[in-house]
Amino acid sequence: MHIQDGVLSPVVCAATGAISLGAVSYSVHRLKQSVGDRTIPLTGMMAALVFAGQMVNFPIGAPVSGHLLGGVLAATVVGPWAGCVAMTLVLFVQWALFSDGGLFALGANVLHMAVIGAWGGHAVRMFVQRFFGDCRKGIVIGSVVAAWATVMAAAALFCLEFRLSWPPSEIDFSKVFTLMVSFHSLIGLGEALITGVAISFVLNQRPELIWRMGTLARPDEETGRSAHPPIATITRTLVAGLVIALAIAAFLSPFASSFDDGLEAVLGKLGIENFNLTGSVPGLLEDYDKVPVPVAAWQSIAVSFAGIGGTLAVFALAWLLGKALPAAPPQLSEAAGE
Amino acid sequence: MSDFLDRFGRGQSMCHRWPPFAKLFAAIAMILAATCVPITHGPLVGIVACVIFFAHTLARIPLAYVGRRLLFFWPTLFLMAISLPLSQAGQKGWLLFVTILVRGTLSFSTALWLVNVMPFDQLLATLRRLRVPDVLLAILSLMYRFLFVLWDELDRMRTARSARLFRKPSLWETWRSAAHLVGRLLIRALDRADRIHGAMLARGWDGRSRWIDQSREDRP
Repeated sequence: MHIQDGVLSPVVCAATGAISLGAVSYSVHRLKQSVGDRTIPLTGMMAALVFAGQMVNFPIGAPVSGHLLGGVLAATVVGPWAGCVAMTLVLFVQWALFSDGGLFALGANVLHMAVIGAWGGHAVRMFVQRFFGDCRKGIVIGSVVAAWATVMAAAALFCLEFRLSWPPSEIDFSKVFTLMVSFHSLIGLGEALITGVAISFVLNQRPELIWRMGTLARPDEETGRSAHPPIATITRTLVAGLVIALAIAAFLSPFASSFDDGLEAVLGKLGIENFNLTGSVPGLLEDYDKVPVPVAAWQSIAVSFAGIGGTLAVFALAWLLGKALPAAPPQLSEAAGE
Repeated sequence: MSDFLDRFGRGQSMCHRWPPFAKLFAAIAMILAATCVPITHGPLVGIVACVIFFAHTLARIPLAYVGRRLLFFWPTLFLMAISLPLSQAGQKGWLLFVTILVRGTLSFSTALWLVNVMPFDQLLATLRRLRVPDVLLAILSLMYRFLFVLWDELDRMRTARSARLFRKPSLWETWRSAAHLVGRLLIRALDRADRIHGAMLARGWDGRSRWIDQSREDRP
């Protein structure tokens, strides 16, 4: 999941880094506004928890295992701003201690897992939650859908970044993207399942821990210090729409090579067609453009399966988890609004 | 676990005695070189690799340790890189494959060097001088402090789980118990955060972080 240095070109790294820097700075700004004296220990612990939670392995096949990413989980427990900061710090420490993910790719990794994971995840969850009167069920279903959508959105974004990083003569992008989408729809399914089960477990055992996110947002009773103002609904809907659109785009990205000319034309107009600073040699592998026939068929099958099957599975999962919750919700539904 | 990550962070070699800024910027420069040098210019790549290797020897980081860390690292990088030519039915993308492998390896070894010549508290102090917001650093230092505590907690929970398992669980059971493990860890972590907050309040915590000025302390 972590992008290493060398996968993306320096220009793309710089661009994603700038976007992430802006987003994280804004999160820190919002977090500072809300700094009650509890925020810092809570956020630090949340970051450590996401880090430790990623150590729990989930077996998929014999040798392959997945693990939690945690953006949506963090945003559900401590809110989008603290969640984004916590995820950023997790990614930073993973680079600094494990050398997991690159230094220059840190911007892209933060964008995919912290910004999309926490901001986008929060927005999608709130968006879905509104359709359920029963807030407790809404939280679980919302977080399951959000976990799936954020992973797919991150995959779509990666496809775009990867496409901008390398010249098209090098490689046939649509096939790479097919692989990426199929792979990430699996990862997304795992993320949705883990997030959903973990959150419904906490909701069953200690519901107030999840509701407490509301107390971070509301003014502190003792000090009366104002916490951060609630996020405007329109902003949230916009972000949610963006993430969902990106998730849908993930399924279109394998077909992106047919849009190549369009993309090139746009880049040419913007005067950045020489965005490739990677110093690779075009033309070395150009002769090999004949591919075996079955690949094309397999591609559309894989994408359709990933899209339809994955979406169905996520909604079945959300429904099952929602059903598994005890019927009587605690009288705290107001707190879940923000 | 922590020992494995930055085992040689407290060493006394020449590299360890460099000023922290020099270490950080040397590492950034090396990673920049490793990711920007065109892969087709073999000698240049070789020079960058030699510089990184030389830095490791200067810091007296044993080759066996570097090798062991690389052994853990390569499989994931290899999987990521090999998926490119595989998706092209093995006909294209080999250049990208090699590029990603080489650049990934070089930048990984550089990061490994930095971890092993720069203890985490030094990194924090350097970041603070680079004007990274105090809130971030306070959260970061708390996170680093309790990371290892939570790992130990997780270890104990895993031991408890395997002590209660008498047969091989099905895939669904494994998943469910792993997700419950995460949920339980979450509950314990948040409870711990509450206790820590209480302890911090008892010691006069008012939401602002204070730092000991290292340079002033060192002065006679």
